[in-house]
Amino acid sequence: MKEREIDEVLAQAAKDAPAVSRAVLESIAGSIKPLLRPVRPMPPAWLLTVSLILVAAAVALAGAAHAGLYGIERLTVFERILIFPALVLLLWAAAAEFAASMVPGSKRRVHPGVLLVLSCLVLVGVFAIVFRDYHTTHFVSAGIACLVGGLAHAVPVALLSWLLLRRGFALNPVAAGAVAGTLAGLAGVTMLELHCPNFQVLHVLVWHIAVVPVAGAAGALLAWALQLRADFRVR
Amino acid sequence: MPPDGNLETLMAAYQGGDFGAATVLIEQLSPKLHRFFVGQLASRKDADDLLQETWLLIHKVRHTYRVGEPVMPWFYGIARHVRVNHYRKTSRVALHEEQVEAPSELPAPTPEIPGTTAEMADLLAPLPESQREVILMLKVEGMSMEEVARATSSTVGSVKQKAHRGYEGLRERMAAMRLSQRRRGGLS
Repeated sequence: MKEREIDEVLAQAAKDAPAVSRAVLESIAGSIKPLLRPVRPMPPAWLLTVSLILVAAAVALAGAAHAGLYGIERLTVFERILIFPALVLLLWAAAAEFAASMVPGSKRRVHPGVLLVLSCLVLVGVFAIVFRDYHTTHFVSAGIACLVGGLAHAVPVALLSWLLLRRGFALNPVAAGAVAGTLAGLAGVTMLELHCPNFQVLHVLVWHIAVVPVAGAAGALLAWALQLRADFRVR
Repeated sequence: MPPDGNLETLMAAYQGGDFGAATVLIEQLSPKLHRFFVGQLASRKDADDLLQETWLLIHKVRHTYRVGEPVMPWFYGIARHVRVNHYRKTSRVALHEEQVEAPSELPAPTPEIPGTTAEMADLLAPLPESQREVILMLKVEGMSMEEVARATSSTVGSVKQKAHRGYEGLRERMAAMRLSQRRRGGLS
């Protein structure tokens, strides 16, 4: 059977589908009429993306400045050139995806799960090239301090990002939560790279990068829990 | 079918509070959205309910449409969300209350009206939900790959793959239907 024949069958079936009744159309128009008032459209995607990047960068920079910019001071120019543009690129990808996920019908470039995995892989690659200290001292205690510090900076980024896009509407709240978490997690990693003077490879690879998946998973989980709560509240 | 540009203008007027524009949009788009729900195995009554729910949500989030962006993916994205949400809530509450056995996927109720409604729904019934919605948007509503990708929050590559697999499924189904018709014809 040819594709054209299938198209014809589908077109005929669509023609034969029952029409929507006039009463339903009038009921819809009637329910909208009393609620109708002018609304201000959402800002353009690029503006939302830039705003999200600025929020993430501002929180990371403020946090690191407050805690001390020991990390960036110890890095060479070459290492800075490798690490920070990569982080900005990932922040841009996550911010663009988050802005798109809050506006129905937006163009999607990457699946939230792929973005999360890709972010971790890029960071693993960059950190593996930059850091050469293979010693491990105070692996768990120093690591947990960095993880907590990174996540503590991810939380305000997530909250401010949500505030920025609160007028948006997520068709898939769990996916939007995962992307928001990824963006916030990347801001947390940026803060750690500016602040943390511990350049041991394992420390950076495990505990710094862990901020991204933990924040991404927390975002998805929170969105799922809120959705579940809303489902039962509606009933 | 009005050109997208016309719908864009109407949408901008609707955002500005023009009831006339809202009415024209409802008149022009409701038959398409209703057909989309019917093609997704909803009964006529369910399709009517989903359509009303969709318009209420469209009204609530109308500020999220940006003039210059394609209109159809915006509408279909919301319609798709309403349909998925409706069945998810129903399944969850049913599971929670242990009144009925929860289905593993979206329920596929038998169309209530025999004949015309059953034809499109029956034809698409064996396809997985993700392929069915892509076929409906692409082939029944005439949307482009790019528009379907936007409406389903996926990529063009993913839409192409689903459309291809959906067509393979339809081809097999139609061939089987033809074969059984021929056999019946031969027997009589």
